[in-house]
Amino acid sequence: MNWFIKGIRMGVKTEDDYHHETKWPSRLTRVKGGEITCPTDAIGEEWKQERCIFCRACEPVFSPTGETLTPRVERSDVTFKRSFYLYPLDAGSCGGCNLELRLISSPQYDMTRFGIFFTNTPKHADALLIMGNLGKRMEEVIRRAYDVIPSPKLVILLGTCAISGGVTGIPPDIRGDVIVPGCPPTPASILDALIKAKGGDRK
Amino acid sequence: MRVIGDIGPYCLTSDGLREGPCIKDQSEEESLGYGSFKFVYGPSAGGLLESVGFEITTYGESIEKINHLPYKGRQITLSGLTIGDALLRVERINGAFTASHSISFLQAIESALEIEVPHDVVISRMAQLELERIRNNLLVIQRVLESASFLVPSFLLLQQIEEVNRAIARSCGHRYFFGANYPGGVRCELKLPSLKISDIERTLENRIFIDRLQGNGVVKDSFSIGPVARASGFKYDARLDSDFLAYRNFDLRIPTQDQGDAFSRILVRLEEIKESLRLLQELKVKPCSFTMKIRDGEGIGRVESPSGDLAYLTRVRSGHVERAYLLAPSKVNMRLFLKSMPGNIFTDFPFNWESFGIWISELEVDLE
Repeated sequence: MNWFIKGIRMGVKTEDDYHHETKWPSRLTRVKGGEITCPTDAIGEEWKQERCIFCRACEPVFSPTGETLTPRVERSDVTFKRSFYLYPLDAGSCGGCNLELRLISSPQYDMTRFGIFFTNTPKHADALLIMGNLGKRMEEVIRRAYDVIPSPKLVILLGTCAISGGVTGIPPDIRGDVIVPGCPPTPASILDALIKAKGGDRK
Repeated sequence: MRVIGDIGPYCLTSDGLREGPCIKDQSEEESLGYGSFKFVYGPSAGGLLESVGFEITTYGESIEKINHLPYKGRQITLSGLTIGDALLRVERINGAFTASHSISFLQAIESALEIEVPHDVVISRMAQLELERIRNNLLVIQRVLESASFLVPSFLLLQQIEEVNRAIARSCGHRYFFGANYPGGVRCELKLPSLKISDIERTLENRIFIDRLQGNGVVKDSFSIGPVARASGFKYDARLDSDFLAYRNFDLRIPTQDQGDAFSRILVRLEEIKESLRLLQELKVKPCSFTMKIRDGEGIGRVESPSGDLAYLTRVRSGHVERAYLLAPSKVNMRLFLKSMPGNIFTDFPFNWESFGIWISELEVDLE
């Protein structure tokens, strides 16, 4: 049978609004007063989503809202409006970010409809996407990958480990243009970030 | 008695711990003839889900020898931490196997503290392990299909993996079981994913796909674990041995194959998905908590992770982890993968590699 018809019969659908309610990780809100010990210092004067590993140690003072985390896009480039090729680089992750990143290509999210693709070589890439803590021998690998990506290029930091180190190590020594919080970030957060980074205006 | 693998300075067997390492790796450097050369694949290459390096010795087409080159190794310290703080790090050793790691670690702690765990907690842990097994086995099959450029079925499988992730999120609050287990309880309910297993079965009947997997990466080793062991006829499964988890009450069926090749491993995984789904339908899961009494002691926790036996050996002193050792299934499987590869050709590599379901994150972790 034709795969396309088969897919429809199976109920495979791309979601127009791919934001799904996931409690952890999602935006946290203070629901009552009280002292908390946070293992990553994500909670001080205010809640810092980029440090948070969503470990639930702050429950019930803080509660998850189920709203998708908002990525921070410091620099975007409309050059990538039509097509945006990513070179994923695992610097030393637990594998969670790798899996969530892979799932943005699942039919529910379908990243290609937004002109987002993966490439196997940094020479064809528009952005370097880094996941995980800095592994023992990965510093040189990251530097070499970054150097061969043609300009203009963006650096995307995916997940708490790559942004601030989390609880398991130190982050890679590279400045991110796009910061995607979460431990690991949900596919919805990742897709939001990528669409913004390529100059799109979707939520 | 069967040998499972090295855990710290000991060898874990089905009868318990034994002093000293299990198997010494034969590292005699035999030199190949004129015309052979070394080829490095990785660490960051297209097609690999994680960063890992391989040094392949070849004459040009067939792989004569292969070594693993570690790149992303992480150091994770558990010694001196409270049980709760240590658990946060244990969960992040391998995100894809979080339930297996955290449950095995907590079992080791509970065994050290001589705690009787309530039945509801046991059932909830079993449900988590089975959901994780389904997700991982789907992922392994998807990765093999993707390696074969069977893109449509590969995407349909990704759709099902996403369904499982959402079901896990609805059940335990987090798509990767982070925070689902804590010292003294579990937070999960059970919301089953809706899966279409018959469609995956039909894909695996494709002759072109079968040809790429049959006879690829044959390994028959009595020191193997998990789906790799079961694909070569050994009926090994930690679920059958478990004293902590109540699998024996559920008439568990352990699928086996006898060819020991990549195709057998895929068939075993597919059958496991069906068995896990059957098991999940029989489990009644609800959140549950219990009290943790603090005392000093040492204990082992062992579960059947999606890739085979996973164990922790922990020593606890005044509520803190004094020392923890890990037996990561990927370490055993990596040895088997390296053993299965010589004699195959380069294009066999991705199918064989994916069929083992190895996670570099837990393989290259240095636990202190």
